[in-house]
Amino acid sequence: MSARVLDIFRFRRKRTPLHALDPRAKFVMLVALSAASLALSDAVSLSALLAVEAALLAVAKSLREWARSLAGLSTLLLLIFALNFLTLPADRLFVAAAMTLRFLCLTTAFSIFFLTTTADELAAALEVSGVPREYSMMFTMSLRFVPSLARDLQTVADALKSRGFELEKGGLKERVRNYTYLLVPLIVYELRRSIMVAEALEARGFGAAKKVEPYVDLSLRARDYVAIAVSAIALCAVIWVVASGVYGSFVNQVRAYFPQL
Amino acid sequence: MALVELKGVRFRYAGSDRYALDGASLSAERGEFVLLVGPSGCGKSTLLRVLNGLVPHFYEGDFEGEARVAGLDVRSTPTHVLARHVGMVFQDPENQLFLSSVEREIAFGLENLGLPRAEVRRRVREVLKEFNLESIKDRAPYELSGGQQQKVAIASVMALEPEILALDEPTANLDPLSALEILSLVKRLTSEKGVLALVVEHRLELALKFATRMVVMLDGRIVADGAPRDVLLRTGSIVGYPPVVVTHLLLKRRGLAEGSIPLTSEELARAVIGRWATRYS
Amino acid sequence: MGDAILVEDVYFSYEGLPVLKGVTLTVRTGEVLAIMGENGAGKTTLIKHFVGLLKPERGRVLVFGVDTREASVAQLARRVGVIFQNPDHQLFAESVEGEILFTLRNMGYPPDEARAICERVLKLFELDRYRGRSPYSLSVGERKRLAIAAVVSYNPDVLVLDEPTAGQDFFNKSKISRLIFGLKRQGKGVVVVTHDVEFAAQVADRVALMVDGRVIREGPAGEVLTDAEALKRARLTMPQIPAAAALLEAEGLKLPSKPLLPGSFYLELLDLLNHRWVGP
Repeated sequence: MSARVLDIFRFRRKRTPLHALDPRAKFVMLVALSAASLALSDAVSLSALLAVEAALLAVAKSLREWARSLAGLSTLLLLIFALNFLTLPADRLFVAAAMTLRFLCLTTAFSIFFLTTTADELAAALEVSGVPREYSMMFTMSLRFVPSLARDLQTVADALKSRGFELEKGGLKERVRNYTYLLVPLIVYELRRSIMVAEALEARGFGAAKKVEPYVDLSLRARDYVAIAVSAIALCAVIWVVASGVYGSFVNQVRAYFPQL
Repeated sequence: MALVELKGVRFRYAGSDRYALDGASLSAERGEFVLLVGPSGCGKSTLLRVLNGLVPHFYEGDFEGEARVAGLDVRSTPTHVLARHVGMVFQDPENQLFLSSVEREIAFGLENLGLPRAEVRRRVREVLKEFNLESIKDRAPYELSGGQQQKVAIASVMALEPEILALDEPTANLDPLSALEILSLVKRLTSEKGVLALVVEHRLELALKFATRMVVMLDGRIVADGAPRDVLLRTGSIVGYPPVVVTHLLLKRRGLAEGSIPLTSEELARAVIGRWATRYS
Repeated sequence: MGDAILVEDVYFSYEGLPVLKGVTLTVRTGEVLAIMGENGAGKTTLIKHFVGLLKPERGRVLVFGVDTREASVAQLARRVGVIFQNPDHQLFAESVEGEILFTLRNMGYPPDEARAICERVLKLFELDRYRGRSPYSLSVGERKRLAIAAVVSYNPDVLVLDEPTAGQDFFNKSKISRLIFGLKRQGKGVVVVTHDVEFAAQVADRVALMVDGRVIREGPAGEVLTDAEALKRARLTMPQIPAAAALLEAEGLKLPSKPLLPGSFYLELLDLLNHRWVGP
């Protein structure tokens, strides 16, 4: 697990219609998909949603990356399923499956967004939307340094193990204590790193001008409007279906179809 | 007035009881390639940081003496103004490249200055061309080799067209061929564009042949400053002699070499061949 | 001299990308092996196999006869000590002294013995005056020495140092070379991963050049570090002395041996210039 799981959110440069979409359009898409994941609560409609997401991933030529990271997430998915299954009073299988699928749909929605959007596109979108440059840059940086942090963590763990220290030894309490040995060098190093980064930012004149025109020219094109319109309609449809009670009777029908679960 | 003018600079980092710089004086002009050498902790990095105002603006502490860069008083000029005159490149490329493509990386400093987009675009195109980065302009900096990353780091500060380039151990993490490529690039900037380069470097065998001047520091002071051969000869016990110099000095003791010390294998070989020819031909 | 680590046709990949593509290499006690090549050639991945931090996908690694797949890192680390490049990734204790005691405790030394060893090692590495200080208050060079000291303290048979000279000044570099010679004299196997060719010329008995996940050349330092073509493929330059000797040879002044260091080169030149030896 660990670092690989985060790969599901790591940008890969590719030439696909989804990559070319304006980040704001993709953001509306993300909102629609997340809202749908949260609003729907039965395994059948969530599976349909997952199929839509898989189709989007296919358009973005990112199915393989997604699938590979999913393998890393399988423990977590299993855990969600098991916890729900073991603690629910009734409808165990049905609800546990739905909960697991919901988590998967939500993760995939974010995955589609981050696999196809670079951190600085996102930052530019934030700036255009009126977020101050300091904050958008902070956001870019935190994404930028996730892989570095993961690598540092790995190196520190390797060094600790090579000193004969057994991280996984002992009971839960002892293990937690073991991990503090990892944290000290990591925190010290990341502090040092943040100073080095801040120096480099200063040296490139960061914060010099009050008004900064972002390098990326974000302008919504026809395809962006289409994506936004489709997402918005889908979002409204989901809200209507749930609010009007149509969805509730659908779920009951589905439940009736599988009485044994 | 010289491009860089430091007079009796003393600096003590806040919270430290020792002066990192203890009366350093240095004046340097356009077109020079200054090799800055000395044991770690001698104040080289602090000296570079005075040039672009990281000391005393980013790192606070007691600052005494006079420091003028491109005619500006460092103490009263903000770092971002000095950034247009001093391009600073650090040891670890990873911590100075932040963006998702080489092109954006180069645009970043120009954006920060608040230049209009069209102007930024034009300068970025020029820099990509000048540094031969056009073929990798869409690549993410973290996907590049260490040598390419340092090249991008240099290009991204050169986009601001500074007259001074300060490099703090730019080749420490590079293989020798990449290190030579980076140092040749810096050399070209000094000779073709008249940039003043100040380079901190431990591996003398790689860097010496590019330098027009060598400055050695010890305990916050400048203890030697001048032509690389002279300075090296006087400070070998502090900075270490490269192997060709050791050979030359051994031969000289036996009366088998004379004149100034060699800085490269070529120079040593030429001297030996000359000696052999005069003796036996 | 005996075989310490046998790497047999090892393959390894990260996230589907092959990093090691059939590496075969032997690490022996009583000698210094330099593994050289550009960043990304697989050097660090290879040394992580020496203590079982990574296990081969194909092929095998034997550490004193034990297959790394059948032992824990803690067990293998008793015999093979690894010092990573950046000291900041490997200092765990609150004091300099504590750093060494921490390692000795992990290795199962009783407290009395640990104390005695700690004293000796602190002196050997010239760190005794900092004993109570936080490792992070030391200079870069001192932190590096402390990281090495902590590993040397428990007396492993093989020491592996990743880029020991990167960013180190002349004094520290000399100290590290002296230390490596000392370890070799004690019969330890020493592996240095480096792209500092002058340093390799100084300390290495044997050199292995890696390019793109493979060892493309391996042999005595005097042969590998004078092989211009192989060095270039590994993005290395020839050390100054063999480079000068090659230039002499190009002019018809061939030396009988292949010197790597100023001392032996000087002796050859003495012969040459005093005409005690006549060229071909």
